[in-house]
Amino acid sequence: MKTFRCLTAPATRWLGLFVLLSLLLSACAAPAAAPTSGDQPAAPTAGEQAGAPAVGGEVSREDTLVFAADQTDIITLDPAVAYEFGGILPAGNMYETLVSFNPGDPGVLVPVLATSWDVADDGDMWKLTFNLDPNAKFASGNPVTAEDVAFSWGRAIDINKSPAFLLIDVCQIAKENVTAVDAATLELKLPKTVSPQVCLAVLTFTTAAVVEKAALEPNMGSDMGESWLNDHSAGSGPYVLNKWDRSVNVTLDVNPTYWGGTVPAMKRVIIQNTPELANLQAAIETGDADIAQDLGSEQAAALEGNPDLTLVRGLSTLLVYVGMNATKAPLDNPDVREAIRYAINYDDIITLLGGNAELVQEIIPIGFLGHTGNNPFTQDIAKAKELLAKAGVAEGTEINFIVPTATAPGGVEWSTVAAKIQSDVAQIGLTLNIQQLQQSELLNIYRAQGGELVMINWGPDFPDPDGNVTPFANYDAKSLAFRNDWNDPKAIEMSKQAAIELDPAKRTELYAELVDYVMHNGPYIMLYQPTRIFGVRNNVEGFMYDPNDTPTTSFWLISKK
Amino acid sequence: MARFILRRLAGLVFVLLGVSLLTFFLAQIVPVDPAATALGSNAREEQIVAYRQQLGLDQPPPVQYLNYVQRLLRGDLGQSIRTRRPVIDDLIDYLPATIELSLAAMLVAVLIGVPLGMLASLRRNSWLDAGARLFALVGGSMPIFYIGLLALGIFYRQLRWLPGPGRLDATMQPPTQITGLFTVDALLTGNWPVLGNALSHLLLPALVLGYFSAAVLLRMTRSSMLEMMGQDYVRTARAKGLGEQIIVGRHVFKNALPPILTTVGITFGSLLSGAVLTETIFSWPGLGRYATTSVTTLDYPAVMGVTLVAAFIYPLVNTVVDIGYSVIDPRIRVN
Repeated sequence: MKTFRCLTAPATRWLGLFVLLSLLLSACAAPAAAPTSGDQPAAPTAGEQAGAPAVGGEVSREDTLVFAADQTDIITLDPAVAYEFGGILPAGNMYETLVSFNPGDPGVLVPVLATSWDVADDGDMWKLTFNLDPNAKFASGNPVTAEDVAFSWGRAIDINKSPAFLLIDVCQIAKENVTAVDAATLELKLPKTVSPQVCLAVLTFTTAAVVEKAALEPNMGSDMGESWLNDHSAGSGPYVLNKWDRSVNVTLDVNPTYWGGTVPAMKRVIIQNTPELANLQAAIETGDADIAQDLGSEQAAALEGNPDLTLVRGLSTLLVYVGMNATKAPLDNPDVREAIRYAINYDDIITLLGGNAELVQEIIPIGFLGHTGNNPFTQDIAKAKELLAKAGVAEGTEINFIVPTATAPGGVEWSTVAAKIQSDVAQIGLTLNIQQLQQSELLNIYRAQGGELVMINWGPDFPDPDGNVTPFANYDAKSLAFRNDWNDPKAIEMSKQAAIELDPAKRTELYAELVDYVMHNGPYIMLYQPTRIFGVRNNVEGFMYDPNDTPTTSFWLISKK
Repeated sequence: MARFILRRLAGLVFVLLGVSLLTFFLAQIVPVDPAATALGSNAREEQIVAYRQQLGLDQPPPVQYLNYVQRLLRGDLGQSIRTRRPVIDDLIDYLPATIELSLAAMLVAVLIGVPLGMLASLRRNSWLDAGARLFALVGGSMPIFYIGLLALGIFYRQLRWLPGPGRLDATMQPPTQITGLFTVDALLTGNWPVLGNALSHLLLPALVLGYFSAAVLLRMTRSSMLEMMGQDYVRTARAKGLGEQIIVGRHVFKNALPPILTTVGITFGSLLSGAVLTETIFSWPGLGRYATTSVTTLDYPAVMGVTLVAAFIYPLVNTVVDIGYSVIDPRIRVN
């Protein structure tokens, strides 16, 4: 160190500073660089796999679709594991199921990998036979066989992650009941307690999507190929995976040998993670994004009238409601629950949401079979007071009301909606004590039947009315009816009966009856079904949002002019 | 020097243990079940119980902590509850973005803060000094998110001079990964279009984030310089008839440097751990954003991972600063 004393030329001082800065730089870069070269061999993209079509490379901006959305929830691209909107969207565009809903045509099943299917009564079981399309092939060029289907379902059941219950519990599929009769015929046996209708709806979901056995088997690793599928795709869909840059975007490239009709117009689709609403607005305004998903009502208002883009509104499948614990006084009296339902001004709530919601007062959302469209409750203070008096509830009775923090679906704070309800209910002499809780904390209380009034939302797990009716009506399902401690044998029986009914007309009738029963006897105040707002640049054609379909946006339908 | 570094490293082990203990038990106080949070509102009780078991959350907290430390000693930061990947993998994905932004911001801060502070001290009470002080006042008092939103609004949305949030244009593929710093990697691989794009994306967030630190550095430089200029040896130097350049460069600035260097170290540490708001506004996929998401989803293995990295970097930077002292001032010996 002594030498430094001699070297007093100004250059040396700056040299010292420079050395220091370089030290800082190298010290900090090291932890990032070292593990990447060691533990993570440069993952080849799907295109580098033998037999896979060439992907990657340059694609012009005109041939690229940039889809901006909040993708914070994405944790996997494996169709057997994905149960988050962020993962299902890309997975649904890379993998195909046997049957699907036609985008924009709710409730109508159409063939995809299966050309036809048949439901037969096989004594103590249902027997479903699927005939596979002989032309169907994976992106690798190999044909899609019944063996691949049986492998994929078995894999999803064995992995047993979040969405596996759809196959295991809702469909009650046992691996031994899935048989590949020959390459083009698959047989599925279901217990009689399961509705084949419900199961077919479940089979449209990515969990039941078909992955290529031959591609996956050599890459199963210790997690049945789950992590491999995060960096590669092995599907038959119109798109293949180029790259998932964990925190930034998912890049899909077109499957150039797509078997199902025409090759999509968009050569590349980039799903850009854009969690901030202001950035989402800016992205669609500047044209950095072609489509922006889930704009807030404020952003939509600002973009209204912008000549470069169109706002597309579509209903989500969520329902926002208040649960009333049916064993806690005074809510244990059905008249009190009915009184509260009559105390609320529902139209005001829709206005509060800036119109970004539809009034729905039943447990089946718009767009689902069995939705009745009946909204019998309008604010009627006199009637509500009369019901309260009949129940013998004293003026000033206090009820705890727990609501989540943050923003409710539809774009206003949960607390704002809660305050509106509080002031409405105060008019009939009931005092609601609002307590705001973080959603997970609220759910803990709710799950343990610990709430009195609880405001939250519900989204069905699969696109069939049963995805709502069983949770809302069947106490034994340990879902919403249980959380509100509403054990009603009639509702339970009706929900079971409606689920297994095969005739759609009869089923609709059964649901109408059940919906009306729950509406007046159940423990719920159904408030609204929120809309989702998309910003779509004018040069984009063919965009469609279908909440029932998987994926909700089919990129292969989109083109640019 | 080697002994000094070893001693520092030994100290670091205790710091990390302390930090992990604190973070772990703070997480225990929060009355929320991370397993239930991770599985969402539709999850059924059996699923939650199973996941809780899988994560080892059914064990008493002290046992959980011991297990955690055991794994930590093997270099295993555990698995994220939310992303279900090893925390270390997540950190590898997110850390380079933060380091790149922090280094760029530091560069901005040093290049603006130090020269401006020097000028302000040399032209004390002039309009330039007043301007610099105003600049520092604004930088120190304006919330960073406000400046960020303002800058994005003007330069991206209105003028379109600079690209929007993110590290690269969506349509641009990142360079081959070497360090994870896009600018450095693009430079190393000679990928000029990506380099240009990465730099243009880096400019705004680095200016915004660096502004605050520049303000701090400016004040520190100014006051430190002023203090040195009043010293006897400076008067002596002047009396000897030395040129102003030599007086300022050799006598004043060199002696004013230690406190400035300390400030650089401290601000760099806080830049790394404190870029949360800037990263959120600029959709910058860094540690700050990872930390925010992890905290809100109560993903405590991830939170602990982030905390440990921050706890590791901070002393590391301080050590480098300490070594730096001995470089600029031979009277200080690290031993």
